[in-house]
Amino acid sequence: MNPPVAQPPPLEAPLPETLDLKSLFEALLRRPQATACGGKPRCYRPLRPDGVSFNIAVRFCPWVLCQARPALGSSGEDHVGIVALRGDLFPEPLHFSTLAGARVGISQLAACFVGALALAGLLLLGFAPAVWIFAESTDSLGFMGTLAVGAWIIAVLFALRFLKSVVFATGGTQKGPLFIWSVVFFLVTLQMTTSLRPILGRSDVLLTQEKKFFLQHWADTFGTSLKQTAVAAAPTVPAVESTSEEGARNPYVR
Amino acid sequence: MHLRDLIQPRLDWLDVPSSRRVAQVSLMAVAGLAVYGFTVGYWRDPVMGLYVAVKLPLLIGLTLACNGLLNGLLGLLLGTGLGFRQSLLALLSSFALAAVILGSLAPVTFLLAWNAPRPDAANAESAHASYLVMHTFLIGFAGITANIHLHRLLAVKAPTPAAATATLLAWLGGNGFLGAQFSWILRPFFGTPKLEVQFLREDPLRGNFYQTVWRSIEHITGGNGLPAVIIIVLLLVLPITQAILLNHRTTHKP
Repeated sequence: MNPPVAQPPPLEAPLPETLDLKSLFEALLRRPQATACGGKPRCYRPLRPDGVSFNIAVRFCPWVLCQARPALGSSGEDHVGIVALRGDLFPEPLHFSTLAGARVGISQLAACFVGALALAGLLLLGFAPAVWIFAESTDSLGFMGTLAVGAWIIAVLFALRFLKSVVFATGGTQKGPLFIWSVVFFLVTLQMTTSLRPILGRSDVLLTQEKKFFLQHWADTFGTSLKQTAVAAAPTVPAVESTSEEGARNPYVR
Repeated sequence: MHLRDLIQPRLDWLDVPSSRRVAQVSLMAVAGLAVYGFTVGYWRDPVMGLYVAVKLPLLIGLTLACNGLLNGLLGLLLGTGLGFRQSLLALLSSFALAAVILGSLAPVTFLLAWNAPRPDAANAESAHASYLVMHTFLIGFAGITANIHLHRLLAVKAPTPAAATATLLAWLGGNGFLGAQFSWILRPFFGTPKLEVQFLREDPLRGNFYQTVWRSIEHITGGNGLPAVIIIVLLLVLPITQAILLNHRTTHKP
């Protein structure tokens, strides 16, 4: 192949105020700063609520639900809605972004926040076929849990990178506060995998009241398989004395 | 399209990911893999050869189809600037090159299979083992060559070498991870001499490639699988990380 020819970076036009879904996707993936700043390289004032950021916030909300897809594929059960609720658990992003030096308003930050979640959701949607293939092939909760958490970690890392680019595009200069907030957010999402359980496997209950640290829960369930949990969840017949007149033995009394 | 276009693509190869070009590259990949696949299965049985001629292109097709969205997203997010169709064309070109290499080696592997001890011979076990090693070496050679080719394609489009390397590694990781499981589902390819010739084994979705490897490592190391896996991962990750760091440049290409 011939050596690459030097090409100047293309000039990026500002995003229009009204975007279709395809353009929004493209902006989210190719030009994250543009989603916050309307295509300007750096901006220091929030956009109007009817501007690009607000447009993104409104249009991408349904895509946040895409996050639930890998969970659907891996569990095969109906805990989809719970997984999508993880998005409500961002602790104090405004304070930390302000500490980082960003000049960003609540509406703008909310728009970028939803954009980051949409990005994570899109990536999880990309992981969904692979997770489904493995879900069909294994009964190991440890393996499926590792796979699902791994996909979640990758998706969140890209979402956090998106938020970081937004904070720095809006005047942020300090990495420290953003890093601390990212660690806190990350730990909270990992704890949610336990607090909102059951997420993997089969269960009759929607939520459990038992309180547990996520590392302890993972350690407890890592070696179990779906078959074991199915057997454990199966209704057990109380062991009673056989009252059959013929003296037939109760199969459950052994 | 000529073969030279695939082996020595022009700089604008990925700029026009037309349906016609994608179809032509796909056809080359299917043809090369089918011819090579036939020689892989031929040693066990000519019928097995026909099965593998179908399954080898199917393996690549399923992997690319399931990871299509993820590959496209990673291509965009990691900064190469490639769209979804361009990502597909880049990956298809890489697989097609590997297929062409393997297809060109098919006469050699066919003669080797023809002259090897028959599966019902006394020394069939050692013949099967050496057959496996030889094909692993050939597939590895074709894979490395194709990935170097893919890196060149990406380097032309990416603003920095680091972006091209990151995209290549992300694609390799994702497709390798899922491809290994598909190869497990679509087994047998070589055909163990003692087992009957089948298109797929009974209940092909039962079992998991990685759990099988894990059990084998546990068996070989006498229950010390985790340290062994950590050492293997470090041996793989450290050279890759070093290669990325050495190639990392933060400035744009001149």
